[in-house]
Amino acid sequence: MSSAVGARGPAWQRVLRKLVVYMLIIPGAILMAMPFVWLVLSSFKTLEEIVLFPPTFWPKSPTLNNFRQVFQMIPFGRYYMNSIYTAIVPTVVSVATAAMAGYGFAKYRFTGRNTIFWIILSTMMVPFPATIVPLFVMVSKMGLVNTRLGLIIVGLSSASGIFMMRQFVMTIPDELLDAARIDGASELRIFTQIVMPLCKPALATQTLFSFTGHWGAYIWPLIVVNSDRLRTLPLAIPYFSGQHYSYQNLISAASLMAILPVLVVFLFTQKYFVQGITLTGMKS
Amino acid sequence: MAVSREKQLSNGLYRFQRKVAPYGFILPGTAFYLMVTIVPMFMGLWMSLHRWNILRTRQTFIGLENYASVLTNPVFWEALKNTLIYTVGVVPVQIGLALIVALLLNAEIRGRTIFRLLYYLPVVTPLSIAAVIWQWIYHPQMGLLNAALSTFGVAPRNWLGDPKIAMFSVIIVAIWAGLGYKMVIFLAALQGIPESYYEAAMIDGANKLDLFRHITLPLLRPTTLYVFITSLISSFQVFGLVNVLTGGGPLDATNVLVMHIYRRAFSDYQFGEASAMSFVLFAIILVFTLVQWKVMGREVSYD
Repeated sequence: MSSAVGARGPAWQRVLRKLVVYMLIIPGAILMAMPFVWLVLSSFKTLEEIVLFPPTFWPKSPTLNNFRQVFQMIPFGRYYMNSIYTAIVPTVVSVATAAMAGYGFAKYRFTGRNTIFWIILSTMMVPFPATIVPLFVMVSKMGLVNTRLGLIIVGLSSASGIFMMRQFVMTIPDELLDAARIDGASELRIFTQIVMPLCKPALATQTLFSFTGHWGAYIWPLIVVNSDRLRTLPLAIPYFSGQHYSYQNLISAASLMAILPVLVVFLFTQKYFVQGITLTGMKS
Repeated sequence: MAVSREKQLSNGLYRFQRKVAPYGFILPGTAFYLMVTIVPMFMGLWMSLHRWNILRTRQTFIGLENYASVLTNPVFWEALKNTLIYTVGVVPVQIGLALIVALLLNAEIRGRTIFRLLYYLPVVTPLSIAAVIWQWIYHPQMGLLNAALSTFGVAPRNWLGDPKIAMFSVIIVAIWAGLGYKMVIFLAALQGIPESYYEAAMIDGANKLDLFRHITLPLLRPTTLYVFITSLISSFQVFGLVNVLTGGGPLDATNVLVMHIYRRAFSDYQFGEASAMSFVLFAIILVFTLVQWKVMGREVSYD
C-alpha cells in the first residue's frame, strides 16, 4: 500500500532505488537461508565426505542413504510419532477450548465474566519458565512424569488463543445469533453451526500457530520426560547429535526430516501466519 | 391455552439455557488454563518459603531464607549478568535489522514474497533443532563458518568452546532465529500507515528523506516500543537455544537465568530455592510488562 511511494520520482531514480534494495536484501537473504542450505547439502553427503577438512560445499557423490540409515541407527519413527502426538493433541484441544471460551466471553453477559477474563489476561504475562518448577512438582504428584498425558497436559489451553477468539467473535453481529434463537436453535447449535463457520480464518491461524509452537516445544518435554520411549524430535535430535557427533550427515538428514512438516505447513499457509502475528501481536 | 403454556415452557428453558451456557463454554479452557498457571503460581510461592524436599510430605517453613540464598549466590549474579549481556547483544541489533529489512521489503520489488519467506523461515524452525544445525556450522574444524572465513584469511576459532566468544556466537544464532518475527510486525505497521499522509506531504513539497523522517519513523514508534519490550521479556527467558548450543558452558560463560533455575531444580533438587528464583525472574519481567502497559497506554491511532 504505502509501497506506492517507491513508484514516484524519475525513472532512473526508481531503478537505482530498486538496485540498492536488491543489493542489501539479497546478501541478507542468503545469510538467513545459509543454515538451511548447509543442512540440506550435508544431509546428502557420505560419512567419508562429511568429516573432510576443510569441508566441501556441494556433495561430491550425493546419496539418499542417510535418510534411510537414520531409522536404523535410532528409533526415529517412534520419535516422529511422539512429536506428531505432542503437536496434534494439544493443538486440537487448545483451539477447541479457546474457541468455546472466546465465544462465551464475547457473546454472553454472566456473573464473574469480567473478573475471570481479567484473571486470564493478567496471568498471560506470567513467564512460562517462572512456573515450571511448581508445575513439575504438581505433575509429578499426579503421577504423570514420563507419561503421554504429562507430556501434553500444559498445552491443553491457550490464554492468547482465548483472547484472540474473543476478539474475533466480538465482530460477529448479535442480530445473527438472535435470529437463530428466534428460530429455536439451542446455544450449542448456535455455536457450532453459526459462530464456528464464521471463525474459520481465526481458527486456521490459531491451529497453525499452535501446531508449530508445539512441534518445537522443548523445555517442558525436557523436564517431564526422561525416557527414550517418549522423546519428541526437539529432544531426540540434540540427544542424537550429542551421542553420535561425528555422524553429521545422519544428524542433518534427521534434522531436515524433523523440520520439514513445519516448513511445508508454513509455506502453504504463510498468509495466515502474518495475519496471526498482527492479530495477536498488536492488539494486546 | 396449550400454545401459551408451551411458549412459557420453552421460554423458561431458553432462559435457563442462556444462564448456564456461558459457563459451559468457558469452563474447559478456563479450567485447564488456571490449572497450569494460577495453581503453580501459588504453589511456587508456597514452595519458595519452604525447605522443599520432593520425597517428604511435610515441608519445613523457612521464611525468606530461599530468597536470601538466591541473592547471596554469586552464580545467580553471574547468570543475571550473562542474561543482560545476551539481551543487550540481541535486542537492539535484532530490532534494527528487522526494521531495515521491513523497510526494504515494503518496497515494490520482484520476489518480495520469497524474500519475506526466507527471512521468516528460522522463526518456524524448532529452536533446539536450529541449535544443532548451528553447532555444526560453528564446528572448529569441519564447520562452514571457519571454512568460509579462512578464504578471507581469518584464523579459525572455537566459536562455542571459547568462553570469551561463546556468548557472542549464541547471540548471532538468536538474532538469526527471531529476526523474521519482528520483521513481520514492522511490515504490518508500515502497511498500516495511510498512503494519504505521504501524498499530502508530497504536495507540500517534502522529499523522500522528509517523508521517512517525519512520517514513517514517528508512526513506527509505538510498534518499535512494543517490539522492544516484548523482546526484552522473551530474551530474559532464553533457555532452549543455550541449553543445546553450549549447555551453559564453557566455564558458565553462557549460563543464563532460566538455565540456573533449571539446574538448581533438576540437577541439584533445590526446589525451594529454584522457586524463589522463579519469582525473582517473574518480578523482573513484571517490571518490563508494567512499563509496556504504561507506554502502550498512550497509543497512537492514525485514523
